[in-house]
Amino acid sequence: MTQAEIKLCSLLLQEHFGEIVEKIGTYLVRTGGQPLRAIVSDTGTSLDQVKKALCVLIQHNLGTYQIQKRGFVEYSVQCSRVLCILRYPRYIYTAKTLYGDTGELIVEELLLNGKMPMSAVVTKVADRLTETMEDGKTMDYTEVSNTFVRLADTHFVQRCPGVPDASGPSDSAAPPAPTLVIDEKDMYSVPRLNLIGKGKRRRSCDDDDNGEHKAKKQKQDLESQEPPPDDGIYWQVNLDRFHQHFRDQAIVSAVANRMDQTSSEIVRTMLRMSEVTTSSNAAYTQPLSSNEIFRSLPAGYNIGKQVLDQYLTLLADDPLEFIGKSGDSGGGMYVVNLHKALASLATATLESIVQERFGSRCARIFRLLLRKKHLEQKQVEDFAMIPAKEAKDMLYKMLSENFVSLQEIPKTPDHAPSRTFYLYTVNVLASTRMLLHRCYKSVANLIERRQYETRENKRLLEKSQRVEAILASMQATGAEEVQLQEIEEMITAPERQQLESLKHTVNKIDASENQVDETIFLLASYVDSTVVAAVKKP
Amino acid sequence: MAEVKVKPEVPDPLDVENRIIELCHQFPHGITDQVIQNEMPHTDAQQRAVAINRLLSMGQLDLLRSNAGLLYRVKDSQNTSKMKGSDNQEKLVYQIIEDAGNKGIWSRDIRYKSNLPLTEINKILKNLESKKLIKAVKSVAASKKKVYMLYNLQPDRSVTGGAWYSDQDFESEFVEVLNQQCFKFLQSKVELSMEDIETILNTLIYDGKVEMTIIAAKEGTVGSVDGQMKLYRAVNPIIQPTGLVRTPCGLCPVFDDCHEGGEISPSNCIYMTEWLEF
Repeated sequence: MTQAEIKLCSLLLQEHFGEIVEKIGTYLVRTGGQPLRAIVSDTGTSLDQVKKALCVLIQHNLGTYQIQKRGFVEYSVQCSRVLCILRYPRYIYTAKTLYGDTGELIVEELLLNGKMPMSAVVTKVADRLTETMEDGKTMDYTEVSNTFVRLADTHFVQRCPGVPDASGPSDSAAPPAPTLVIDEKDMYSVPRLNLIGKGKRRRSCDDDDNGEHKAKKQKQDLESQEPPPDDGIYWQVNLDRFHQHFRDQAIVSAVANRMDQTSSEIVRTMLRMSEVTTSSNAAYTQPLSSNEIFRSLPAGYNIGKQVLDQYLTLLADDPLEFIGKSGDSGGGMYVVNLHKALASLATATLESIVQERFGSRCARIFRLLLRKKHLEQKQVEDFAMIPAKEAKDMLYKMLSENFVSLQEIPKTPDHAPSRTFYLYTVNVLASTRMLLHRCYKSVANLIERRQYETRENKRLLEKSQRVEAILASMQATGAEEVQLQEIEEMITAPERQQLESLKHTVNKIDASENQVDETIFLLASYVDSTVVAAVKKP
Repeated sequence: MAEVKVKPEVPDPLDVENRIIELCHQFPHGITDQVIQNEMPHTDAQQRAVAINRLLSMGQLDLLRSNAGLLYRVKDSQNTSKMKGSDNQEKLVYQIIEDAGNKGIWSRDIRYKSNLPLTEINKILKNLESKKLIKAVKSVAASKKKVYMLYNLQPDRSVTGGAWYSDQDFESEFVEVLNQQCFKFLQSKVELSMEDIETILNTLIYDGKVEMTIIAAKEGTVGSVDGQMKLYRAVNPIIQPTGLVRTPCGLCPVFDDCHEGGEISPSNCIYMTEWLEF
């Protein structure tokens, strides 16, 4: 856990859950797994509050617990999971593009509440959708349930591990904490629920329906006393699946930029076919035969089999090496090189950063070093066709920022500088980690700035909120037009402008946080997949 | 019958010389001794030798060796006037430099070849330069080294670095312009393989704008080397400029000094203020 990551975690926790959770969470991120007593004593908060904070963390899948050998329970918080909070808007947006407004709201509810049973999700989403619909229309539960089932089938939401059925003998001592288990095949199976009903609109006052309303309320109270049919089965969002989706998106758009639309569609089809068969950190997808790909192409693309074969050959021969050919059966077996694709994307990100920070000539030297691995000063000048003085200057600048490093190769055992080769080289993994650290710090800076801007204008924001509240209540009681205008004028024109600019500022910073998060995603995926590949190698 | 005595004509030495020069002019590639003998049968070997020696010392004749024997060639009149004032040493040095052709020769090498002391060489070189017979060209390989070649010769590529150098300075503007031109040319989807500008194309590759593939080509196709041909194609970058560089922090020069509560902090960052006002 680097300093920057811990700082970012604490900022996120504070913004979303408040001071106490932030204190406990940061402490656990920094020190790893700790038993309850240690947390209480080290952070100086009361036992009650610590328990509540831990509940919040576990509910939102940020923290976990584990029974240690000695018999006590240790609680821990995973930094990487906390950092995923940054990405919530992106998850919600993806759900919207794939499954429409219903999907968007389902994912949003699940993210906001951590874990929920399906019936609760469906009810809440239906209510929310009904509010946005026109008068008289309501959202049917079945529609929401269908979307939920589709989300589960494509593994975007998954069941949480649950308490196992009590089957052991009753005289054995109860363990200090239940061990949660979930069966692989149950993870995405939706329970059979008979959810009938429609979404309810929240009406503040409606004389016509008053009588009916009361009657309905009574009936509901009776109903809510019975436990919902799916008690104990909780659902959570499957973040890994979303990450897989983002990765696929990045690869497809890279192919579209490098080649054309049709080839990107072919790659998208191949990735879709491997969605459920390939684990998220595999280096290659399963081999797919050209016939299978042909059958699975989307309906709109009626390209001939031969054309498809040509495209596949072209993709396999491309220097990018995103697609590889692994055999000839079934018309040619093709795999997607996931690890290589991630490496290319990470390298492209590095190059883009060097280009924007130092200029296109430095970028040329950087790419040259990436290709040729190790080069002397003189060779760099020759290949890149940049005059000696400038090349030297650029190399030293990049060296000081740790984008390139020097490798010494001595000619004599005494390592005399005049008789040593000095070769410039780029270490991609180290540079990626360095830039990742920088990204985390940047996001922390952006969040701090946003909070500062909001604090500065706190007085103004409170005033505008009061005015809005007054306006709303006056409208409800049926005030006159003149009175409403008077209230509105309580906020002067320059104040209004200040509010506008504040809104603009906050939006801009928010958008920028999301953009940096995209970079974080690419770089972090590359680092993870490289580490996994290194561990796998014998 | 009265004997007509044919007085053996004593050939006038000057006559002989002129005759030889005329012959040389007739055969600009050079004449052998044999030819002179044939043309002027009344001269004997001694006279010929004297005449030729005189011409040589006056610098009007060049003595060359060929597989047929010795050749005498008339020297350029321009040259002859030039060399009039020089002495033998200078002529020797000049000869050495001339032999080096358009690659030029280093002063140390001249010393080795002529066995003259350094001070002499320097004096002679200075003299020749002032007479505009030779010139010094700075080598691009080692910038302190000077090679000497004849005044009117074009320096060789290896000395001046070829098309990319002009007056010993790296023509970066020229490189840039060609860079852009090649890129535009390739963008219009013409595939070409030209050895001459391969280095420039490589820089375009390093710029990430162009990619290269090697395909098998038949022997004899234009540009193929060893049965392979390099094809170049303009490409787009695979990602858009990344998110980090769209924020001020990504490009900030004082990033490492920035922390909350310090002199430089996110709250009072001037770059952010400017960026937010956009």
